Amino acid sequence: MGNIADIRSDIGIALRIAALRLRGQMQYRSSFLMQIFGNFIVNFAEIIVLWSLFQNFEDLGGWTLEEVIFLHGLSMVMFSLGDTVANGVQTVPELIRDGNFDRTLVRPMSSYIQAMVNEVSLRHFGLLGQGLLLLGIGMATVSTEWTVAKLLYMTVVIVSGLALFAALFTIEAILSFWTVNSIEAVNAFTYGGSDLGQYPLHIFRQGMRFLFLWVIPVGFMTYYPSLYFLDKPDPLGLPAFAPFVAPVAAVIFCFVVGKGWTFAIRHYRSTGS
Amino acid sequence: MRLYLELARRAFQQTLTYRGAALAGIFTNGIFGIMIASVFLAFYQSHGSGDAVQGWTRDQTITLVWINQSLLMTVYLWGWWEVTRNIQSGAIVTELLKPYDYFTYWLSRDFGRALAHFLVRGVPTFLIGAIVFDILAPESWLRAASFLLSVAMAVIVSFCLRFMANLAGFWVLDYRGIAAMFAAIMNVLSGMLAPLAFLPDPLRIVANALPFRAVIMTPNEVYLGQVPIWEGLGFQMLWIVILIVSARLLMATGERRLVVQGG
Repeated sequence: MGNIADIRSDIGIALRIAALRLRGQMQYRSSFLMQIFGNFIVNFAEIIVLWSLFQNFEDLGGWTLEEVIFLHGLSMVMFSLGDTVANGVQTVPELIRDGNFDRTLVRPMSSYIQAMVNEVSLRHFGLLGQGLLLLGIGMATVSTEWTVAKLLYMTVVIVSGLALFAALFTIEAILSFWTVNSIEAVNAFTYGGSDLGQYPLHIFRQGMRFLFLWVIPVGFMTYYPSLYFLDKPDPLGLPAFAPFVAPVAAVIFCFVVGKGWTFAIRHYRSTGS
Repeated sequence: MRLYLELARRAFQQTLTYRGAALAGIFTNGIFGIMIASVFLAFYQSHGSGDAVQGWTRDQTITLVWINQSLLMTVYLWGWWEVTRNIQSGAIVTELLKPYDYFTYWLSRDFGRALAHFLVRGVPTFLIGAIVFDILAPESWLRAASFLLSVAMAVIVSFCLRFMANLAGFWVLDYRGIAAMFAAIMNVLSGMLAPLAFLPDPLRIVANALPFRAVIMTPNEVYLGQVPIWEGLGFQMLWIVILIVSARLLMATGERRLVVQGG
């Protein structure tokens, strides 16, 4: 490991495996379409409820329906992309339980990349499609001037958010090296993080804000960049550059999680059965 | 009868075994409860005064959020596809030969599971809510007792709905689309995401008449005093009767089809 040429050939192989897995999935076309549709409908139901709430109440912490829809879209796009990238990583608990993880350790390729392509699925494209739709509706309806700089930075923010959510799913995998039953708790940070990212951060209590800003920087991926995109004031009073730390926060978070993965691999003992 | 009680007891114990999972689940329900309650608090704040919105005061809505998070596992709102999997693997053929009633077999097991989930997931989650937020207590002991009865009936309604959704496995091979649709319908029409009173008019009227309401909304209404006790419990009872009959009819139809398929 470590050699640039090695890593490049690893990625080449990984991409080929990913393509094969996708082709396998496409063989069951109706099943595939059904999953995407189901994925779409679940979140569509939530949007109906959100819209109903705005019919009964004036606004949400000073944000309009259009602005909250934009935030929903942004968070959904990041989450669905991160979830898609980390799909295989989410099968690590299963691999460990069945004793199949050992196999990845003896192959001449990073075990993380092998886990990543263990399962490749586009089922979250339903959510991605909906996220993009909401993002588009939000962008078209908010009263904001869209500039090239904003659009470029939005791309950076989405990539950062993708990395953050993929890293969160990796934490689930890391924990599964020690415990399999308790990993449901990580859902509070993955799905919970994505849900929380869909609302203006300042409506939450201090403990939650601290957790989802400084421990798991979801707030730096969705809320703070949106203050810049939508020209909103910051009631929390962070420095003026806070909307622009998304990529830095993502890099730091991924670095720490990467260290955790290496540590877990080093201490891994097979189930032995 | 003894057989079914034994089945319920086993399912109860089986569910209690996973302590780590229960702790993790309470944590997750707690975080989601705090998040959703905060969103509603912010909505009510924008409303200015402490007035009720569509007949729901702020404290009532917050209490509903925590009752919902606590009941989530007890009524197994989203997932349970064991019957479908049985149909697909073909195991159902041997299960139908066994000397018990298939529907009652699963109902007993589900009841045991629900009781365990109520104790290890529901009660602690509700306590978190009571500590962190201002939650209303039931008006009287009669309301509190009726609430428990209403939860038990909600489990039966939910079971019937889930059982029927599972039977779709007789007709379609891939249940994942149905599972997602079932979850979406349950989320909105049961009142899991928000009180049904907040929905726009045609949808609200329809939702109030459907059995999904009996799974989440009715226990809340009984607890909070939104409906007379007899009305809430009567609504659930009515749907239990209709759903048990429908589930059995659907099962009989599906079985006939299974025989044809199995040759």
